[in-house]
Amino acid sequence: MPGSAVALDNLSFRYKGEDRGSLAITQLRIEAGEKVALIGASGAGKSTLLRLLDGRLRAFRGHAKVLGRTLDPARTPSRAWRCNTGFVFQEFALVERESVRQNVLNGRLGRTHPWQSLLGRFSEDDHDAVERAMGDVGIDDLAGKRVDRLSGGQRQRVAIARCLAQDPALLLADEPISNLDPVTAQAVLALLHDCAARRGVTLLVSSHQPRLVARYVGRFIALDQGHVVFDGPPEALRDDTLTDIYEEAGPVPEPVS
Amino acid sequence: MSTRDSLAIPAAKTGAPPRDRGGRSPSYAPFLLSLALAALIIWSWTGSDIELDRLASSGGRIADFLGRMLPPDLSVLPVVLESSAETLRIAVLGTFGCVVLSLVLGPLAAETLTPRWLHRPVQWLLATVRGIPLLLVAMLMVGAVGLGPLPGILAVAFHATGMLAKFYAEAIDGVDRAPIEALDSAGASFLQKLRFGAWPQMAPDIVRDTLFRFEMNLRESLILGVVGAGGIGFYIQVYVRTFQYQKVATLTLVVVAFVILIELANGMIRRMLR
Repeated sequence: MPGSAVALDNLSFRYKGEDRGSLAITQLRIEAGEKVALIGASGAGKSTLLRLLDGRLRAFRGHAKVLGRTLDPARTPSRAWRCNTGFVFQEFALVERESVRQNVLNGRLGRTHPWQSLLGRFSEDDHDAVERAMGDVGIDDLAGKRVDRLSGGQRQRVAIARCLAQDPALLLADEPISNLDPVTAQAVLALLHDCAARRGVTLLVSSHQPRLVARYVGRFIALDQGHVVFDGPPEALRDDTLTDIYEEAGPVPEPVS
Repeated sequence: MSTRDSLAIPAAKTGAPPRDRGGRSPSYAPFLLSLALAALIIWSWTGSDIELDRLASSGGRIADFLGRMLPPDLSVLPVVLESSAETLRIAVLGTFGCVVLSLVLGPLAAETLTPRWLHRPVQWLLATVRGIPLLLVAMLMVGAVGLGPLPGILAVAFHATGMLAKFYAEAIDGVDRAPIEALDSAGASFLQKLRFGAWPQMAPDIVRDTLFRFEMNLRESLILGVVGAGGIGFYIQVYVRTFQYQKVATLTLVVVAFVILIELANGMIRRMLR
């Protein structure tokens, strides 16, 4: 893909009457196919940045170009653009009373016919994409089950499958493992990494567990009060950098190496 | 609300925050509450001029009354069945009317959907509607549109909306926003978000609430005929006032069977919904 997947210049944003979650980024580039971890204390702006890249943040200032499109701070991006960014939520954000298959199918809503889908009709392409996505994350055998019968790890797999069904070019994961036990967390990270690698998708995953994430990414970006305070390979991330990043957030997480 | 709570259905309102029950109340509150409750019961008793000896001597009269009901006079069965069918029709159309009204007023009363300056007045309006007894509404409707099932249908539709629109608003408020945001992120249109994000979350509640209200409408419609608003209530009044107890017996049996049948049917549908 020509050009960067993400290009931010002089970008700033602030929630009304709130310092937490604000952004102040002079310049940031993420190339297509990169796998990046986003770290920083709570309120450092990780979620805000991910929401911005997903096209769900309005009223920001500066220049933001994502997947070749310049984001408009006043308007929601088109349906066609929104399918290109997949978003994995910390709390899974699934429709609990629906089946696994229907939830994965929901990932196709941006790609499918807007009126026919209302009648429950989806195209062959849609169904193929759903089968492939469920296969990729290994939930074929759960297809008919209701989501509210599943464990946390299974739910996050369903959510990832929903994202993959979108055929995204950029995969954004907002603390996807913070609600999971360590073993499941490893599995979900490996899954995100493998799916992104296999499909050539750019991956940006935020986490409070740098050590866990380090194995699966080639680059770390650290945010502190909305500023990029570190940007480099996992090996370059030193303990004292981590201490600086997390100093105001209480206990320091385990070091990377 | 107590009727609804007693249904003991696992609430699907997981998205709604738990109501704050306080915990700051001083420890003497339960004592004062008990005193007030006792005073209320004593006031009700002494004010009602109750003579217990009348209750004691009533046994014979009740036995006599029951005796005169037997055997049930089955000759009125066709009339009773036909007017029961009319009551059912009133309940069905009345429920249809209150569903239509609630589909409009429910969203308007939903706190997560409508601004406060709008949902508060609509909630007050619904509370007022709930506060007007069905029979009173029916009498007004008979005055407005004349005798027959039509005033009954209108009265049921009006009266039931007070509760059903409130239930609909609660179903809407119970919808979890996160999945809808996820669908938005995936490129869903507004209608797609409604159809695939919001509707699956609230549909079981909406259907269950509507069935429950239909059952209530049916039971309340039984007496509408007393004020001339159609249905079997007319015969209840006529047979009791003219001391035709054998006919009253037939009527009672039909009504009981009728209500039980509808409840069984509703129960089956509810189980299918889980």
